[in-house]
Amino acid sequence: MTGQTNINKKNIAVIFGGRSAEHDVSIITAHIPIIQSLLAAGQFDVWPIYISREGSWYCNKEMNDLAYFKQDDFKTRLVKQKKIRILFDNGLKIIWPGIMSKTIQIDIAFPAMHGTFGEDGSLMGLLRMANVPFVGCDLFASVIAMDKVLTKQIISIEGISVVPYVWFTKNDWEKNKDIWIEKIFKLKWPLFVKPVHLGSSIAISKVKQKTELENAIKVAFHYDDKILVEESVENLIEVTLPIMGNNELRLAAIERPLNKTEFFDFSDKYLSAGGKKSGGVNSYYSEIPADIDKKLAEQVEDLGKRTYRALGCSGIARIDFLIDADTKKIYVNEVNTLPGSLYHHNWKKIGVSGVELVTKLISLAEENFIQRKNITYAFNSDILKKAGGQKNQNN
Amino acid sequence: MIKKWLSRYNLHYPRFLVYMLQVSEYNIRDYFNWYHKAKNFSNIEQRKRLVKTPKSFFLLTATWIILLFTLVIDFLILRFIVFPFRYILFFLILLSIPYFLAYIIIIPLFILKIFIQMPIEYLIIKKTRQILKNHKAIKIAIAGSFGKTTMREILKTVLLEGKKTAAPPENYNTSMGISKFVKTLKGDEEILIFEMGEYYSGDIEKLCDLVQPDIGIITGINEAHLQKFKKIERTIKTIYELSDFLGEKPVYINGENELARKNAKPNHIIYSRDGIGDLKIKNQKTGLDGTSFIIIKNDKELEIKSGLLGLHLVGSLAVAADIALNFGLTFEQIKNGVSKIEPFDHRLEPKIDNAGVITLDDSYNGNPDGVKAVIEFLAGLKNCRRFYVTPGLVEMGEQTEKIHKQIGKELAKAGIEKTILIKNSVTPYIKQGLKEAEYKGEVIWFDNALTAFAALPYLTVGGDIILLQNDWPDQYQ
Repeated sequence: MTGQTNINKKNIAVIFGGRSAEHDVSIITAHIPIIQSLLAAGQFDVWPIYISREGSWYCNKEMNDLAYFKQDDFKTRLVKQKKIRILFDNGLKIIWPGIMSKTIQIDIAFPAMHGTFGEDGSLMGLLRMANVPFVGCDLFASVIAMDKVLTKQIISIEGISVVPYVWFTKNDWEKNKDIWIEKIFKLKWPLFVKPVHLGSSIAISKVKQKTELENAIKVAFHYDDKILVEESVENLIEVTLPIMGNNELRLAAIERPLNKTEFFDFSDKYLSAGGKKSGGVNSYYSEIPADIDKKLAEQVEDLGKRTYRALGCSGIARIDFLIDADTKKIYVNEVNTLPGSLYHHNWKKIGVSGVELVTKLISLAEENFIQRKNITYAFNSDILKKAGGQKNQNN
Repeated sequence: MIKKWLSRYNLHYPRFLVYMLQVSEYNIRDYFNWYHKAKNFSNIEQRKRLVKTPKSFFLLTATWIILLFTLVIDFLILRFIVFPFRYILFFLILLSIPYFLAYIIIIPLFILKIFIQMPIEYLIIKKTRQILKNHKAIKIAIAGSFGKTTMREILKTVLLEGKKTAAPPENYNTSMGISKFVKTLKGDEEILIFEMGEYYSGDIEKLCDLVQPDIGIITGINEAHLQKFKKIERTIKTIYELSDFLGEKPVYINGENELARKNAKPNHIIYSRDGIGDLKIKNQKTGLDGTSFIIIKNDKELEIKSGLLGLHLVGSLAVAADIALNFGLTFEQIKNGVSKIEPFDHRLEPKIDNAGVITLDDSYNGNPDGVKAVIEFLAGLKNCRRFYVTPGLVEMGEQTEKIHKQIGKELAKAGIEKTILIKNSVTPYIKQGLKEAEYKGEVIWFDNALTAFAALPYLTVGGDIILLQNDWPDQYQ
């Protein structure tokens, strides 16, 4: 640990794991680069809060080491761990119950949870209730970004292009399949079928033939009750742009994933990174900066900033784009409010180290928290006194 | 405090004692130096693990037998001896077992050494001496406080261009190491190169007696191993045992090193980055892509380029060129040979990662001259952030404070942006040196090297240079 600023270290809770299909990805993001960078910075006392697949909360500093989660007997060890309790009492406190009970006041929370019950706004809601500063996007942006349809609807209103699509719920589909099939047939094929709320490209299928459609929809409904069917951009240039900031935005490099398969699925994103263990979840198959012409790059950057603002993002987010190589038309595909491993490999390339990245995100979280504090949520009135009683008098 | 004291009573304690003997190369003095300083025995095997060899197995078994035997005696006292304070005696013995073990472990080591190791080694060395005596190759011996392995590898690579040359691998620089290497010789070698390790007075003389060298090279003398030699005069005398043995035969002396140069005799050949006698060198340049210079001899010029980093190596390359010319190699062969030399493992060895961070691994370089040369190299690198990472140098004896303060001053002078120091007994002196020289960069402290290494990828960005200077084995704190 660095020792240049050992006194008065801030207590940072890195929250990861969770009841999500992206549980394991979250463990990686939490460690590479978040915990490693926080430890390297030397200014923080890092408390790793791990939420199991079952939803139990644990905190033990041994969990600051990624190796803890790779142990063969990990589950046995976890069972022996004491589950923590959380307390909302003038901020967020974590408590290890028992005879030797211990309580820690958390100064800042660093959510590192992908997908459901974390990135989808659930955790942000909890942290807002706790009245503790937290890193990254707030509740509203997280909720919208987690829903691919809501994202498309909102940014369309702002005049940002999205690929033509149809969406429906499981109930809609079961009630009147034919209407939806008819609508889908009006789209330009091939198509993509996606669960609306899932990240990391889980359960996404590319449908080229009509016979494949129903099965793809079935797969998507296995993971979500709302799905999206959208046109595929052929001759595709897929790029992504990580952005950081609250009011003043800083852009990372435009990055082009170099797909191995036809589209970028879960195994491409997280399992094929190969060789380099320390690279986080996505370091090896990208072109940084993307080799696209300057004008196109400027448009991507402009659209990126507009999308970030339209959704009310703060802290950090990553905007994914689809570019039609023939027409040069750019579509915003989706917004990710917790980029895997914070896309630290990209930030590093443009001169932002892991330590600089996490410390900047923490200062943005504090800035946001102060802004939120200045908003009046409470309103004193005598309505409660008047309730019931007064009505009776009037009667 | 109590936790540290209790760490002596863990079940791995006997293993840790054997491990420390092993990393101290079974040198009793080094082992006790470590033992008397060690306070916490809970995590001794940090950098390496105990290597299972017949010797370590024997010692570990013997230690456990002694331990169990002592326990049995202790319980017998409790059971059979009628003594008013027998419980106190029992606990006193029980508590003192770890201390007792740390010393008693020497007895099986001595038994092993006197009755098995020494007779075997005597026979092996006798055979080696005989083989080398009959071997027709010209023998080159390299001695010095630093730079021996680099010189050996440079010489070998260059001479291989025209002569059948062989040299021991790794750090085979003791009688037994050399014997191991000699066993592999085919007999048709024309040149043999030996590196001579010096730890105590008389070491080089013994090795000269074994190898019978024809040519000597003294790469430099400094405070490395001063803790063992106690006085620098003793180091000088030991290294110059090579020159004493060779008498009038050729001895190359590194003129860039003050102590080596001052003690040189008139018949010695002085080399430096400017050349050797009538072999002149000009246009020396160095950078991250290597080192280049021009050799001039008998009005003939030859441009040479090597992958090695740092101008301090030009002198060693010049020695290789001079010896090669004397052996009849052509300019072209020398050029080819030098171009084949790549940076050696952990000796200013450049590595670049995916993000474009360049790490210069100089973790085998732990001597003041080497450090000075590396900082000089870093000073020449522009338009990048430079991270200098070090735990300091070991075995500097009474010169520890002076040498480390000097390192701090040199870092400040070179304008290094970030100095990363590992907390131990010597790095505060580097900090002091930095402060005295009004260092403008940032000093970052880490508890140990492993946490520093883990943090480096998160402290750096593309284009940064990280210099890893020296590495401390577990026996130093």
